[in-house]
Amino acid sequence: MKYYPTIGIECHVQLCTKTKLFSEVDNDARGKEPNSCVSPVDYALPGMLPRLNKEAVRFCILAGKAMNCEINEFSRFDRKHYFYPDSPKGYQITQFYQPIIGPGYVELPSGIKVRINHAHLEGDAGKLTHFDTYSLVDLNRVDTPLIEIVSEPDIHSSKDAHDYCKELWRLMCYAGVTYGDLYNGNMRFDVNVSIAPEGSAELGTRAEVKNLNSFRSVERAVEYEISRQSKILDKGGRVIQETLGWNDATGVTTGQRSKEEAKDYRYMPEPDLPPIHLSFEFIKTEAAKLPLMPKDYREKFGGTIKEDILEILLDYPPLMLKLEQLEQSLLGHASARPVCLRQFASQGASVTGEPRSSSIVTSGRSQKALLLVANLFASVLLAEEKSAEYLNDLPTAAQLNDLAEMNEKKELSSTATKEVFLKMFDPQMKGKDAKTIAKELGVIQENDLGALEAIVDTVLAKPETQKAQEDFRNGEEKVIGFLVGQVMKESHGKANPSAVQEILRKKLSN
Amino acid sequence: MEVERETIMHLADLSNFSVSNTECESLKQDLGEILNYISQLDEIDVSDVEPTYQVFEMENVWRDDEILPQEATREELLALTKEQKDNQIKVPKVL
Amino acid sequence: MRIANKTITATRLVKDALDKAHEFKDYNIFTFLNEEGALKKAAEIDAKIAAGEKVGKLAGVPFAIKDNFLAPFGETTASAHILEGFNSPITATAVAKLLAEDAILIGRTNLDAFAHGSSTENSYFGPTLNSHDRERVAGGSSGGSAVAVALDIVEFATGTDTGGSIRQPASFNDVYGLKPTYGCISRYGVVAMASSTDCIGFFTKSLEDMDLLMSIASGKDSKDLTTLDDYYNNSEVAKAEKVGIIKDFDNDSVAPEIRAALKSKCELLKSKGYEIIELEMPALKYALAAYYIIVPAEITSNLSRYDGVRYGFRSDKSTGLNELYANTRDEGFMPENKRRIMIGNFVLSSGFYDAYFLKAAKVRTLIIKEYEEAFSKCDFLLTPVAPNPAFKLGEKANDPVAMYLEDMMSVSLNLAGVPGLAIPAGKTASGLPIGLQLVGPRRSDKDLIEFAKVLKEDK
Repeated sequence: MKYYPTIGIECHVQLCTKTKLFSEVDNDARGKEPNSCVSPVDYALPGMLPRLNKEAVRFCILAGKAMNCEINEFSRFDRKHYFYPDSPKGYQITQFYQPIIGPGYVELPSGIKVRINHAHLEGDAGKLTHFDTYSLVDLNRVDTPLIEIVSEPDIHSSKDAHDYCKELWRLMCYAGVTYGDLYNGNMRFDVNVSIAPEGSAELGTRAEVKNLNSFRSVERAVEYEISRQSKILDKGGRVIQETLGWNDATGVTTGQRSKEEAKDYRYMPEPDLPPIHLSFEFIKTEAAKLPLMPKDYREKFGGTIKEDILEILLDYPPLMLKLEQLEQSLLGHASARPVCLRQFASQGASVTGEPRSSSIVTSGRSQKALLLVANLFASVLLAEEKSAEYLNDLPTAAQLNDLAEMNEKKELSSTATKEVFLKMFDPQMKGKDAKTIAKELGVIQENDLGALEAIVDTVLAKPETQKAQEDFRNGEEKVIGFLVGQVMKESHGKANPSAVQEILRKKLSN
Repeated sequence: MEVERETIMHLADLSNFSVSNTECESLKQDLGEILNYISQLDEIDVSDVEPTYQVFEMENVWRDDEILPQEATREELLALTKEQKDNQIKVPKVL
Repeated sequence: MRIANKTITATRLVKDALDKAHEFKDYNIFTFLNEEGALKKAAEIDAKIAAGEKVGKLAGVPFAIKDNFLAPFGETTASAHILEGFNSPITATAVAKLLAEDAILIGRTNLDAFAHGSSTENSYFGPTLNSHDRERVAGGSSGGSAVAVALDIVEFATGTDTGGSIRQPASFNDVYGLKPTYGCISRYGVVAMASSTDCIGFFTKSLEDMDLLMSIASGKDSKDLTTLDDYYNNSEVAKAEKVGIIKDFDNDSVAPEIRAALKSKCELLKSKGYEIIELEMPALKYALAAYYIIVPAEITSNLSRYDGVRYGFRSDKSTGLNELYANTRDEGFMPENKRRIMIGNFVLSSGFYDAYFLKAAKVRTLIIKEYEEAFSKCDFLLTPVAPNPAFKLGEKANDPVAMYLEDMMSVSLNLAGVPGLAIPAGKTASGLPIGLQLVGPRRSDKDLIEFAKVLKEDK
């Protein structure tokens, strides 16, 4: 039988605040010693009380706006109770009754809209490592701020599930609220999958696959669940509502045997934290700080850069930022919207302090320049080995602008342009401007007419070109190519071919 | 109010106690009396009253996002646990 | 307070305090005595004074802390087995402020484990005896602190009051006990019982001392987001005219001698030109029931962190993690702790939340409204603290509800967040102390202390 899948996704996003949600310790424990980012509050000593991080609340406004969500005027924290060593307090502080982020929607590149039910702010749990007879507890991750984004069951294919998660990732990265480092679990997905016979009114029983940490695994897990559940229904069986784990190696979901279902979390309003009351003005002011989102870039560059190229570049926020900076330096003014993704600041991804290009030019030129650089980036990402590494340390807008200018002025052939561009990522060439690099590579085209005429003359003086000169005078157009080639050879490829041809025609016509 | 043995066991489970049979009997009686007493709230109708969870009139009490020295070091904290290994807290395996 | 005015040395004060602590050892007042530390600190302070250096407002004053205040002096146990071996690296804000004024910590005082109780009988270390009758309870949960002050061992002691735990033992031992406005003194570093009603306060022998301690300990704390601005030191004492008494509390459930004491105080007030008005506060009838829903719920939550994993007692007869939890909590908690944790889990569990916890939270609103109304009609309320004077040891030990009824008149203040000052009000024929409580609107703590002076018989 044919079945129609219905999918809802819960996504946990770790926020990139400097400190944790309830204490003033370092929130970025990546590569740090176990329990080295733990305060007495996180350790849950007796008498310790949570101290709310205002930045996390601000981030909720940005994240909410990025998903076209309402921001609730009133929100509150609640306690969710369960015993496990990764939860030192014996409860998680979350928002069960009054979350901060209300309904909204996310639009996928395909145009499909996925509604957001709500998103709430909560603290993350610690980490357990299991050994044969014991387990070790590391509390570094305890109360790292998380936003849990709960979608409506608006997704109906594994591809859309993939695209939704990817778009969420883009939105959160561009909003500047997370490092978006999937490898380190900055974003984790729980996927609810159910299937029902095509056209049937009510939904089937859903199974939840927990803790997926890549778009691909989301896609595969959904595919697997759809076929697993289809087989069950085909055999006349019934799908049981359960929580499943995903094994990326075997590509199979497995029941976790956990009592999750039976669990009674005994939610209770958090008495140690005063409620949050966000004024209209505050929300407005903070929302205005939302950096450019993917859709803004699509609007901005859609006319200039081919769609498929643009979608590739959109997966690299620092790149889009660089293009934005380039355009600004070309147009010689700063964008009205903030474009600094604080979490990428380390990668020089900030407009501030960028040297402006000396030449203020027409937007016509700036469009050409943008297109050139966009294509260069795309070609690097598509062709070059370890392309991602190229992005760790991008050239400055000024370097790129000069490069574009030289290409424009025919000082660089397209091949030479790419050569120089690649050199810009070379540590030895770091900081050198396009001209210097081009000189060092010796790829600048000869445009000086005097110098070119000299070369032409030497070529025309050579006996082996006499025949060709004859033929041309007798009207054999095509031999001009041979002569140009000779001149290029003589100039070691630095001569500008079109200029050379002009001179040749002049000289041969009299 | 009669409290079932199952209720006691369920509550003990939620509370993470191991309750002996003798304990269970006395708990059935005590909890029964206490629940009896608090059930007198059934007398009043508060359907149109807003609940109070915190008595003070404060909101938006928060701090800046700046790293500050804490009042106890990792060593001081870990020194409080019965067993530690490689700067982590050691617990028996989940069975 | 005999603040080191050079008529007596800090060392002398501390020696006296320690001597008395030993003299009254069998009252089981202290869970820890800071003998060496106290004498060392005293010597330092005497040296400072001798050298003419500046010393704090409480220089050399011996004091005790209830054993649920975190401080690196002995183990912080909350009189519970499950915190055995917990040496806190942290100092509670309130204690830090007192130490900063050079007060000298003599020791930690006994309480009902985790402050669950009204008699200090639920302590892992056994009960503390009443200062006036060794057959009777000290009251609770801050029994040790009340008796330490009543027997003149220390000048003052800290306490916590979640439903009467300062006022009731104060009234059982003939000393002053203040439960301030909720949020007046930081809860940081104090073992939490019920976060939305817990208050930090003091036991003293004089109102002047109470005022001084409040001026030192009160105020905003960045480590407790529920603390109020420092209103105590910035409030003008208002002129009082009317005092209200609550009809609902003036009935046979209250011991005749306590009702008589209340009457005589009213007469005294009238004689001094104050107007006494009778008030009806029907919602208070439900305060105790609401309290024993809300508080156990918060207790359940706050006691979830005691699992033997990170600090304190860990049962060693555990092979798996689940056993470790179950055994540790089973052996580590007292029966009353377990009762309250289970009640809390009952009222919070799915299917019962609305009928119990939510309903109690709504009743709480009614109680707050009723107090607001009352204070629109009068400046203060004068009521008994407890329906009876100190009862016999073991008398109510096996009857939880009877024990809860002791809190009848004290819990509503905590639900409303208003301050209450327990004041000595004579003795019964058999010589047991009687206490009354003066209740005011939120932030009227200073006014209460001032007005209490009026209630003293001028002899």
